[in-house]
Amino acid sequence: MSLPIIILCLISAVLALTMLFAKSPITSALCLLGVLLMTAGIYGLIGEHMIATIQLVVYAGAIMVLFIFSIMLLNLSNSENDFKKKPALFIFGITIGFTLFGFFAYSIKNHFQFHLQDKLLGIFTPQLVAQLGGNSKVLSHALYSQFFVSFEVISLALLVAIVGAVVLAKRKVD
Amino acid sequence: MENSLVFDLTMMMAKILVILVGTLGVVPVMVWFERRGAAWMQRRVGPNRVGPFGLLQPLADAIKFIFKETFIPKEANKFYYLMAPIIALIAPLCALAVIPFGSKVIINGQEVILQVAQMDTGVIFILAFAGLEVYPVILAGWASRNKYSVLGALRGSSQIVSYEISMGIALLSMLVVYGSFNPHDMVAWQQGSLGFLPKWGAFVNPIGALIFWISIFAETNRLPFDLAEGESEIVAGYHLEYGGMKFAAFFMAEYVAMIMASGLLATLFFGGYGLLPGMSELVSMISAHFGFGAVGMQNTKAAFEFISFATKIAFFMFLFVWIRWTLPRFRFDQLMDLGWKILFPISIINLVVVTLGVYYFNS
Repeated sequence: MSLPIIILCLISAVLALTMLFAKSPITSALCLLGVLLMTAGIYGLIGEHMIATIQLVVYAGAIMVLFIFSIMLLNLSNSENDFKKKPALFIFGITIGFTLFGFFAYSIKNHFQFHLQDKLLGIFTPQLVAQLGGNSKVLSHALYSQFFVSFEVISLALLVAIVGAVVLAKRKVD
Repeated sequence: MENSLVFDLTMMMAKILVILVGTLGVVPVMVWFERRGAAWMQRRVGPNRVGPFGLLQPLADAIKFIFKETFIPKEANKFYYLMAPIIALIAPLCALAVIPFGSKVIINGQEVILQVAQMDTGVIFILAFAGLEVYPVILAGWASRNKYSVLGALRGSSQIVSYEISMGIALLSMLVVYGSFNPHDMVAWQQGSLGFLPKWGAFVNPIGALIFWISIFAETNRLPFDLAEGESEIVAGYHLEYGGMKFAAFFMAEYVAMIMASGLLATLFFGGYGLLPGMSELVSMISAHFGFGAVGMQNTKAAFEFISFATKIAFFMFLFVWIRWTLPRFRFDQLMDLGWKILFPISIINLVVVTLGVYYFNS
């Protein structure tokens, strides 16, 4: 790992912790936005420009706008007082969280076969991708030929979600 | 190895400097032109006291901005209040990194591509940073704790989000034509001619070009779509509580966004840095006159490409000013109707037609 990636990782870790512990909703939302931007930066630095751009367009440019827009619209700024810290509960929660994290880390470390990681790579090497005309071309080709059906099914699922949201909202208005 | 690293770094810095100086340096000129142009179109005199033709007026404005009192409203959320103008300026400047302003120059036998970031995803990256332009509007309106500001922010952000859709679909119809995300490929595709017209995207896909052009007016919050700062209704909208240099940052951001949008429009639909008609003869004439070799010819060509690109951007900036003083402001429901009920369906139909056309011509 190069130094810029490590710096981005550290910043995003700090932002993620701020997101968890911040009291005001807009701070949390903006910290999440920061984490997403840093992740996009990491993707960009390892040469995956397509994923980085999609991350920016979809998460930073669309989903987080919706979050912040609704926070601003509902004007949740004064609700911070509802979250009073109860030390006992807080420490209990943190203990459970870290214990679970420890178990996950332990089981992943023991059962994920790291030595096989490099042997089970797919057919695409950086040289091959460059030879085939770049990352986005290879990705789009795979998306629209090999994984065509799953792509269409996922878009159908999104359509169902949109229609469902409209129906729910309409019932409330009526 | 060491030498090439130093060379790459220097070239990168030089390109970033060109972009920064080119855009931020144009802002005062544009401010002057905006005011003089307004006066010219309305048959007034305009600012003419400071310097010849009022040319030093932006300088006087800048001095005034800098020496204004730093005022922060008491109820404002200080951190976000101060952060908003910074993001406003950063997002469009980042997007400019992907717009090429020339093909390449050859220095010391090495090719330097005149584009800051050569990215695989090119144009989509510009769209990503154009999408981030919503945040300063929302943040500024929310952090100021002012009803007018919140109203302006709501209007501005919903407008930007709505017009992003038709803008994206118009862009998509052009991506179908070019078959590439790379702006250099797009410019290369647009060389040549269609009869007496140059083979520009705007002549291949005129409806897409028109929709894209309308959408960038809404994206940059310019008249006739400047509902976010409609003076007669909500005073100054989302940047009402900003004064001095903080206001100037928003002001500069608007012009940088205009330059970015003009550059994108020129690259997608008007041949990008491709030489204007008649310039290629000029390049070969100059090269022949001074006896340049292949290297000198390429560098001369690059210089003229830069001039062509700057000319196109200047023309679109002029259009921005021209439209501003020609059309009155829309009402908000009219704006939303135009975006959702007119531009959105037309852009989808246009996308289908263009896709069928491309399929027909390619097979």
